[in-house]
Amino acid sequence: MSLAVAITGAGALTGRDFSFDGLPEAVQTRAVRAERVTQLVLAAAGKALAAAGLDVADGVPRPRLGIVLGTAFGCFLTNAAYERRFLEGGPAAASPRLFAATVSNAAAGELAIAYRLGGPLVALSAGAASGLVALGHATDLVSSGRADALVAGGADALGDDLCGWLAAGGLDTGRPPAEAAAVFVLERGDLARGRAVLGTIEGVAAGFEPDLAGPRAGDGLAAVVATALEAAGRAASEVRVVVSAAPPGLADLEARALAGVASPTVLHPKDALGETFGAAGPLGLLAALAAAPPGAAVLVLDVCASGHVAALVARAGEGA
Amino acid sequence: MSSRAAVITGCGAVSPLGVGVRALWEGLLAGRTAVAPIARFPAEDLTPRNAAEVREVGAADPDRAGAFALAAATEALADAGLDPRALDARRVGVALGTTLGGMLLLERWLAGDARPPAEMAAIPYYGPAVRLARSLGCRGPVATPQLACASGTHAIALAADWVRAGRADVVLAGGADLLCRFVVAGFNCLRATADAARPFDAARRGLVLGEGGAILVVEEAGHAARRGAAARARLLGVGAAGDATHMTAPDREGRGAARALAAALTDAHTPPAAVSFVSAHGTGTPYNDAMEAVAITRVFGRRAVPVDSIKGAIGHTLGAAGAFEAILCAQVLAEARIPPTAGLVTVDPACQGLDLVVGAARTHAVTVAVSSSSGFAGTNAALVLARA
Repeated sequence: MSLAVAITGAGALTGRDFSFDGLPEAVQTRAVRAERVTQLVLAAAGKALAAAGLDVADGVPRPRLGIVLGTAFGCFLTNAAYERRFLEGGPAAASPRLFAATVSNAAAGELAIAYRLGGPLVALSAGAASGLVALGHATDLVSSGRADALVAGGADALGDDLCGWLAAGGLDTGRPPAEAAAVFVLERGDLARGRAVLGTIEGVAAGFEPDLAGPRAGDGLAAVVATALEAAGRAASEVRVVVSAAPPGLADLEARALAGVASPTVLHPKDALGETFGAAGPLGLLAALAAAPPGAAVLVLDVCASGHVAALVARAGEGA
Repeated sequence: MSSRAAVITGCGAVSPLGVGVRALWEGLLAGRTAVAPIARFPAEDLTPRNAAEVREVGAADPDRAGAFALAAATEALADAGLDPRALDARRVGVALGTTLGGMLLLERWLAGDARPPAEMAAIPYYGPAVRLARSLGCRGPVATPQLACASGTHAIALAADWVRAGRADVVLAGGADLLCRFVVAGFNCLRATADAARPFDAARRGLVLGEGGAILVVEEAGHAARRGAAARARLLGVGAAGDATHMTAPDREGRGAARALAAALTDAHTPPAAVSFVSAHGTGTPYNDAMEAVAITRVFGRRAVPVDSIKGAIGHTLGAAGAFEAILCAQVLAEARIPPTAGLVTVDPACQGLDLVVGAARTHAVTVAVSSSSGFAGTNAALVLARA
């Protein structure tokens, strides 16, 4: 399908270990004023760009470097904060500062400004599969030569209004929600500047489950697993580490989709981290790369009760 | 991968000019504007309070964007001669941009109106795409591009990428957005709005909001050919680029928009001189239109290509705008007519570098058309379409 894409940097953090330490001063100045999800993205991306040797925070925008970020909820908290003030005080209380941030590409835009990234600037949402869907789109952009390197991954922030919405039945996560950001620097494998490679993305596929309670539930996830393996040129028997992602209520569906994959190691990072939505898939990939022996194939899943599903196959690098 | 190509085989639109692509096209050709005082929800305390509302669809549906998307998709599928249930569901996807999604439901919930879980679930931006994907029974990729006011354009770009990379054979791609108090008060408090949209006019004062849904069937060329379907247009190239300068104000020099245009032309293997129509973002704000004049002139040269904006007619439909404008491009390619820019009377000196279509529709054979969009957070996206 496409050239394999190298991971030359990674950065991840959860709400608990969040810090601006180590970021360039100009980036910290922007970060302290930003909404929560943007703060998480700036901190994680700063680490990833530094690891890849691309953490330049001044000069003209670099047209061959871009961003593809996945987020389930993006500016949800900002929307709610803006709307609450507007409901309370009417049009005179509507905040231009908050309204300007009621776009789910705000974190991507801030990241572009902070690190002078003038190439593709993309954010997308696919529920709790947003992270792997973003990595898939980024893989297409990099392998077709439309960018030299992309910061790609996902993030979501938590707050009272989002937790209230979840509790009111907005989305069944089956686990406590948590906030996190996890991003990678992706480059074409043959152009990776000789840098240490944490891993190589070999295949990604995204799909959908239109009826999670229906007789064909699981077909969408099974198809993306098959497609990702096929794109990677891998047999299911080659997979050494699988990252499970389904909410407990969809565990059977995931098990059916994985029926042909007899991996010796199955990781459940959400049991420790909680449901991190847009960051879940990228965090799963990090966990898999850390657990796999060098050169081994890993299979990472994203499964959301919204119906969004995705699968990614990667080869663990020497530097993982 | 390079052997696969994307074509557009169907279009559907629910716009303030009426239901259907025909109503949109005829209204645009006639230079009509659908802008009027907001009638569908209380707006007496909002200033300005003119907008372009959809009157025929979704009146009782609290997920208004989803209702627009479903109606537009139904027309697009019929236009393409496709029954999605007859396709391999794993090869059918949805890429649907929106900037508001289930915002009416969020407004009601935060105002204390408890809603059933099914309605709560429709609040996030991914809600309308999920609703459309469920109605189609699709099992291919489903995503909601989040590029602010360039979301509809990037939805079509994402669909083209999925089709060309082999991720899907048929993608329902486009955008849907709605008018509500949240967004009207928001743009008002930014002082970005006016009573009339006058793109590129010397007297322009700001944008006027609109609403609607626009869906295109983006299909793999061989898949369309095998079932004997005629392409409405070919989707030759897509591009995206960030300004990396400011979160809300466009780069005055139009460098990000120019980069997105250049990227789309490179992807299309098409030189700027081959382009014979540009659908501009053309919001009617002082900064956007001046920026775009710089960007378009930078890429195509001075007064080298006819330019039009439809936002004077249907308002700024936000996440749907780029999808409406892609349908405009397909219509211009097929009909060899370019609608006038409604609301434009006296071209601003800052926009004199553009060959704007003013007053009446212009008959003009177009072989390659380009659509350009920009949005908050410094995002820009562009499409290159060619006559089938």
